[in-house]
This record gives sequence, structure tokens and C-alpha cells, in this order.
Amino acid sequence: MDFLQTYGFLIVTMLQQGLLGLSLYFPLMAGQLSLASPGFYALGGYIAAIMLTAPQFAGWRDALGSWIFPVTWLFSALASAVLGVIVGVPALRLRGIYLALATIAFVQILQVLSLNLSITGGAVGLFAIPQAFGFVDRWQYIWIFLPTVIVVLLFAHRLQGSRVGRAFRAIREDELAADAMGIPPTRYKVLAFVIGAVLAGVVGAMSAPFLNTWNARQGTFDASIAFLAYTLIGGSRSMWGPLLGGALLASLPELLRSLADWRLVINGLVLVVASLYLPQGIVGALGRLRRKAPPQRPVTPSTPALGDTP
Amino acid sequence: MRTLTAILALGLASVSLAEKVTTPLPIGIAVAQTSNTALLGQEQVIGARFAEKYINARGGVNGTPIRLVFQDTGGDEAGAINAFQNLITKDKVVGIVGPTLSQQAFSADPIADRAKVPVLGPSNTAKGIPQIGPFIARVSAPVSVVAPNAVRTALRLDPKIKKVAVLYAQNDAFSTSETGTFQQTAKDQGLNVLTVQKFLTTDSDFTTQVTAVLNADVDLVIVSGLANDGGNLVKQLRQLGYKGSIIGGNGMNTSNMFPVCQQFCDGIIIAQAYSPAQPSANNQLFVKEYSAQYKKAPPQFAAQAFTAVQVYVDALKVIDRKKKLAEWELADLRVELNTQILAGKYNTPLGVISFDKDGEVQQKDFYVAQIKMKDAKTGTFVFLK
Repeated sequence: MDFLQTYGFLIVTMLQQGLLGLSLYFPLMAGQLSLASPGFYALGGYIAAIMLTAPQFAGWRDALGSWIFPVTWLFSALASAVLGVIVGVPALRLRGIYLALATIAFVQILQVLSLNLSITGGAVGLFAIPQAFGFVDRWQYIWIFLPTVIVVLLFAHRLQGSRVGRAFRAIREDELAADAMGIPPTRYKVLAFVIGAVLAGVVGAMSAPFLNTWNARQGTFDASIAFLAYTLIGGSRSMWGPLLGGALLASLPELLRSLADWRLVINGLVLVVASLYLPQGIVGALGRLRRKAPPQRPVTPSTPALGDTP
Repeated sequence: MRTLTAILALGLASVSLAEKVTTPLPIGIAVAQTSNTALLGQEQVIGARFAEKYINARGGVNGTPIRLVFQDTGGDEAGAINAFQNLITKDKVVGIVGPTLSQQAFSADPIADRAKVPVLGPSNTAKGIPQIGPFIARVSAPVSVVAPNAVRTALRLDPKIKKVAVLYAQNDAFSTSETGTFQQTAKDQGLNVLTVQKFLTTDSDFTTQVTAVLNADVDLVIVSGLANDGGNLVKQLRQLGYKGSIIGGNGMNTSNMFPVCQQFCDGIIIAQAYSPAQPSANNQLFVKEYSAQYKKAPPQFAAQAFTAVQVYVDALKVIDRKKKLAEWELADLRVELNTQILAGKYNTPLGVISFDKDGEVQQKDFYVAQIKMKDAKTGTFVFLK
């Protein structure tokens, strides 16, 4: 019990950060490097926090009881999808580093907005958020986050084999070729972007009660970089990569807590070493270990040299 | 099977109930020792460490020494929750001092409140902190109480002040709530707020804001920002020819600002929750020993952290006299300690303080200091009477 009390929050945080890593994975399936996830994460959190604390929604809360929590997830998903389309359609005309920059700008805009609006509580943010389903301890949030992880992984798995998943892969490998084969790149790129946005938004809505408070510090440029690191360290070619990367990088500073200041040094070292020596990420490296070595050129029986007659 | 589970659950419950208080008495300190929040957190660590030494050298809690357990919160919410969880279940502290930021407090304090562990905020100044729950209190007076003193003092120094410009860092939680108080105070004092300008703590060029202030032709400027941006803003104001008075917010209440605005820092008026000049014997002893060890007068954050530890110790002393601390169950002691903290009156370096029923600090004296620069690098806070 004490173990769950002490580390329950950390375990759930690992799942939560893994999910946020996965929100970057979906656009990456279509080859799009989007750093917009923290923006949607913040948006989802704000929607949940406002619906759960604002007096205007008191009637909803009374009428819905605990059902208000799934309703906040739904609203966050819808809002993220709509905003994802609005942002995605113009932004996805950009490629590579320019798309990354545009999505960072989007995160910044949302942050400045949330600092200036009164409904988001300005810089202090929103607090005294009621606990989902009457949870008391942090570890109980595993009942929300674990099923979400499983659902998202199943979805990603099904997606990979589907027509849409193959279209994503085709665009990732060569957008022009995919276009020539009759795959509309913009539509599929926006779709991949919106899937990631919806996931980040829902995770945000789940996280607001989990963290007890929500403020403009949740969706920042720093978070963009952290989520990117999850996919890079974990591996961006498999759905397990971002999940593993998020869980690992979220837990490392806590597991090394006894090392005091040194824990951040070690955290940094892991990042540097992993990106230097595991270019495919941890999952990529593991996959290489498991895969059978490519067939060697058959050893040709040493034929006697020509002219060497018996 | 069900009975077995019940027995197991009962066994677990009784194990956790039978937990005695360990000695030396563990008190948790959860402040930011890493990240950029550590600029404040480091002063709190020094203040708390100093309190541990100071109190144990004087016999601790009626002969039982105290032991501070430090858990780094970092600058974010998740870090604060992790630090609190560690202190509560692993380190089994009787109470917690922390966290550094108000946003972290809104995240981590509910955890301690639900676990029925007392928390004393050493530097949380946002509105609503003591109201998080019955186990949450703070020794840091809220901005709404401290900030108005600066305006009143500025008016006393220059009664002709009529027109005011207000500037604040809109991405800093403390500055945005502080500026609200400043603007309200200015109106209450019959002053005319001609312009309100926003900036970011990451800005370094303030031409837009300074031009607006100069155009409004004001005779008092009130800045709520942090050391770096606030210092640069003041410097550019003076360089472009502003001659009137300047009030700085609590974020600029640090000598770290001197290298930024250099001789232009001169004359900035800043309200204080703590003064090394506070005459009580308790404070003078604290200042003397602190200065001997660190070669400078204690800053406000260190004094507040010291005060929080002292409040725990003073409350524990009262409980110990009723029933020896070693005989208490940990869970019961935490509840009793919380009740005792709110009931007591404490003679601390901040002066005599007590708490209201929510856990809001009731502090008698506040101070106002004015910066005096000797040269471009060194200066002092001169406390005004």
C-alpha cells in the first residue's frame, strides 16, 4: 500500500507522458513532425478545469454527477478536433522544420491567450478541481489512464494495417509518389494531425483532476521538446517507442531522487547517449536485436583454383 | 477467500495505525532545489537548514532533536506532488514546509490535506492557498496585505504624487495578482492610473512600455516583475529620462537585481514582509548568527522558511508537554499538530504571528525598504520608518 501511495503518482505519470508521446507518433506515422501536442494538451486541460470549477457549469455538474468527467473528455476531444482541422489545414502545407516551427508558434499563441483570459485564471490558473469518480489517492487514476493506453495502442495497431495506415506510410516514405498513386496527401496529413490532437486533448482533460490544478505552465515550448524527446529516445517507427520513451523519461528523475542534483545530470547523459548510439530509439535497437541477422552470402565451397589440376 | 482478504486488509490497516513517531522528529522541506525556481528555493533551503541547526543547538523540541528531510520539487506541479508523496509515506514526516510556488501549492497541497498532514507554505502568496483545506496554512502574507504598504510610503515620501503608471509581467503568477492589488490601492488612495502596460519576464527591450509611460507624464511608476526583467525595465525608464518615483514588486525584492539596473536601481521602493531590523530579541539573534555564517543579512525567503520550521517546533513543544511525543501515533500527532499550529501564537523573526481559522497568517508588522546604490554593483535595502 505504501508503495502505491509513494509511487502511484509516478506510475500514472509514466502512462500519461507515454500517451503524450503517442500523440506525436500519429502525425509522425504520416511523416509530419508536429510539436503542437502541448497546445492541445493545455486546451483539453483547460476545458476540463473550466467545466469542473466554473460556476456557469454548476448545473451540469449537479445533473451529470460523475458522468461530468467523461463529458469533459468528449468536449476536449471535439474542441481539439475542430482546432486541429483549423490549424492543420494551413500548417500542413509546410514541411519538416517549418511545420515544427509553425506548431511551436501555435503552442505559444495558446499560452499567451490562456495568460490573458480571465476564464482561464490568468497566470495563477484554475485550482480546486474536483477529483474524478471520487478518487482519493493518485494511483487510482490508473483506472483512467491504463484503459486509455490500451485503447490507444489497439487503435494504433489496427490503424497500421488499415488502408489509412498504409496511406500514412506511403506519405511518410514519399509524398510525391503517394500523391501520384492517388492518395490525397493533405487530407491524410490533416487526419494524422487531428488524431494526435484529439489524443493530447483527452489526456489533458484527464490530467486536470489528476494534477489538482491547471495553468499556463502545462502547455509550453519546454513540453514540446520533452514530448519530442520521448519519441526520439523511445523510437518513432513503432507505437511502443513513444510510450516507452515517455515512461522512461518521466520516471528517470524520480527513480534517481536519492542522487539529489546529480539526477538531472544523469537524465541529460541518458538523452545524449541514447540519441548518439540509438538513432532508431530504444525500441528500434531492440527490434534490431530480435530480428534475425540478414542471410549471409552462402559460403561457396572453396573451389580449387583454376588450373590446379589434380 | 473474502474473510482472508478482510483479515489481510485489517492487518495492513493495523500496521499503518501502529506507526509511532520516529526520533529525531522528521519535518519535511519540499522546495525547489533545481530548475529556475531554485533561485528562490535556494534561499529557502538555507533558511530551513539554518533553523535546524539553530533549534537543535537550543535543545530541539524539549530535548528531542528535529531532522529536516529535503525533497526537491523542481519547478513544476508533478515534481511537487512526487516530493509530497515521498515525504508523507516514505519519510513519515510530521509536517511539511513547502512548496515554493503558488501553482505548485494548488497541485500538491490537496494531496497532503487528504492524507491529513499539516502543510506550512513558506512563500505561497496567491489568493486561496489556506482555503485549499483545513491542513493547509502559510507563513507568507498574501500580496494583498504586503503590497499596499509600498504605495502608502511612496505617497508619504512625495505627497504631490497624482498620476500613476502600472506595469506588470503578465506571464508571472505572482506579478499578475500583485498588480491587481497595486491598482486597487492606487485607486483607493485617490491616485489616477493613467496607463497599464504588460510585459513578459523573458523580455529585454521595453521601449514600447517606457514610451507609453513617458507620454502619460506620470509621477509614480509601479512595476511588478522579476529581478531580471524588472531591473532592465527600471534601467530603460531612467535612461530615457523618467524622473519620478518607482515602486517595485516583491519579485524584485532581491539583491540579484543590482547587477541588472546598476546605479539606476537607486530609489526603488519595495514593500517587505520581513526586515532584519525588526527589533525582537528573537530576530536579532537570528540576524546575528545568520550574518556570521553567510556574511549577509537574511533575505525574506530565508526568514520565512526559518519561521515555518520554528512554528512546527513551537507547536510540537506544546504538544510534548501534554503527552510525550514518542508515545504518539504518527497519524494522530499530525492531526493534533495541525490543530495546535492554528491555535498558537509565535514569536518569530517575522515578528509575532498567529493564524486565522483558515490557516492564513496574521502578521502585525510590514516594512518598506528603499534601494540605495553605493556604486554600479553594490547597494543595500534601507528600511524606511
